[in-house]
Amino acid sequence: MSVVQLESVGKSFMRRDGEQLEVLRNIDLDVPERSIVALVGASGCGKSTLLNIVAGLIPPDQGTVYLNGQKSSAFRDWRSMTYMFQEDRLFPWRTTAQNIALGLEAAGMPRAERRDRVMQVLELVGLEKFADSFPHELSGGMRSRAALGRSLVTEPSILLMDEPFSKLDPSIRTQMHDEVLRIAALRQMSVLFVTHDVEEAVVLANKIVVLMPRPGRVKETREIDLPYPRNPLSPEVAEEVRLLRLSL
Amino acid sequence: MKRSPLQMTQDRRLRLIGLRLLLLIVVIGIWGIGSLGAPAFILPSPRRVFGVWTQLVITPGFWADFGITFYRIAMGFIFATVVGVVLGLLLGASRTLGDFFQPLLVVINTVSSSIWAIFALIWFGLSNWSTIFVVFMTAMPLILTNVWQGTSTVNRDFIELAQTFRMSRLQVLLKIYLPTILPQFFAGARLAFGFGARVSIVAEALGASSGIGYRLRQAADLVQTDQVFAWTLTLVILMIFIEAVLLKPLETRLFAWRKPRPA
Ligand SMILES: Nc1ncnc2c1ncn2[C@@H]1O[C@H](COP(=O)(O)OP(=O)(O)OP(=O)(O)O)[C@@H](O)[C@H]1O
Ligand SMILES: [Mg+2]
Repeated sequence: MSVVQLESVGKSFMRRDGEQLEVLRNIDLDVPERSIVALVGASGCGKSTLLNIVAGLIPPDQGTVYLNGQKSSAFRDWRSMTYMFQEDRLFPWRTTAQNIALGLEAAGMPRAERRDRVMQVLELVGLEKFADSFPHELSGGMRSRAALGRSLVTEPSILLMDEPFSKLDPSIRTQMHDEVLRIAALRQMSVLFVTHDVEEAVVLANKIVVLMPRPGRVKETREIDLPYPRNPLSPEVAEEVRLLRLSL
Repeated sequence: MKRSPLQMTQDRRLRLIGLRLLLLIVVIGIWGIGSLGAPAFILPSPRRVFGVWTQLVITPGFWADFGITFYRIAMGFIFATVVGVVLGLLLGASRTLGDFFQPLLVVINTVSSSIWAIFALIWFGLSNWSTIFVVFMTAMPLILTNVWQGTSTVNRDFIELAQTFRMSRLQVLLKIYLPTILPQFFAGARLAFGFGARVSIVAEALGASSGIGYRLRQAADLVQTDQVFAWTLTLVILMIFIEAVLLKPLETRLFAWRKPRPA
């Protein structure tokens, strides 16, 4: 079964000068259960817009979104999906631990239970020592990790991520890749994420959807059948990276 | 050796206290020199005022007047806070409501507090409610305006994030709106408290038979200038006390999350 399925989805925005800007056209997309799907494409080709549509934040103009096989409008289990935005969106008045706890508070979890869950996640994203720091006291990379923690703490079955690791340095990025793969396998989570990093797409994804711009359309869908964990230095991965670069 | 941030804060605080003391000495000095060339009913000397004040403080009636004034200011302020915050949030939440009431707010803001004092006298006569009403009418629009403006600084991205977590309206209000408007609310409330306290004296002078304002007018009518000064001193001390013991520590605690301003 697919956890996320898009059928000929289209979206236009009204520009301020009154002209219609077609951002997405006829998008078919499929995120099978327990798979990791990467969206790649040039800047401005509508990747964030696509995630916003899947998250139910903006309605599509054409086409249909299915979540767990239900039409998006009939879908009720929204809390099983979390969205890590392109910006970290940490509340400046909350500490790291409090920011991470947000989703649990929204779901009405009692304080004592929350604390244990938050502690686990802090450890997971390597921020135990910064639990009581405010966002302005964190580095860019730490802020991304806090945002990731906030998306993971509710143990979602669908995780949407918009360029989640672009602010991390390479060694931590590799570490986060391992973590995401581990958590995805452990929690049977399905992931749909956007990236600019071709290598990241190949290392993480079962499936890579290449978009082309103006308007955003699916150019190509590549299945990556390599076993995990994938070593970025191995010839198989290097070959996939090369092929993907060619199609971009 | 490099000083730690904590030490540096302490250094700065000591320096500030020194400067404040110096200022106090300078002001009292000028006042003292000025009083040498003037009769006591125009400008009494600091020593004389202090003498009168120490006598005043031990009369039982003093604390009753002090208490009743504080009570009226506090009541007016509390009403103003509740009404101002609720209305500010409402007007901020609904554009139509906001546009509808905007002119009314402008009108209320242009009516001088002394005019409210006269209305209060007509409507409430010589009672606590006169002063409370005037404090309320002075403080409420200030708080309302600040809260209302604060709501427009709410980060849309945060609201969107809240949507993905399916947060309820109440949760959004408490977890996003409230923390966002708190700094603005605090600034407004502080201003409102100061204005309210000052105007309460006028209100008491016009429409009360007790309280600091009433005593001030009494002393002025009897040309007891040293008494006027002593009551004024009392007021100043009260306001400084509230600022230093209540507002400042509260502000430091509430806004610990703010990025410290470069020194
Ligand atoms: N709310 C909006 N109103 C008008 N135009 C919009 C809106 N949101 C996005 N756009 C436009 O849609 C296009 C796609 O935007 P989107 O943010 O989805 O791109 P993206 O693929 O995520 O780009 P990037 O890789 O730089 O993040 C852009 O041209 C943008 O200007
Ligand atoms: Mg984007």
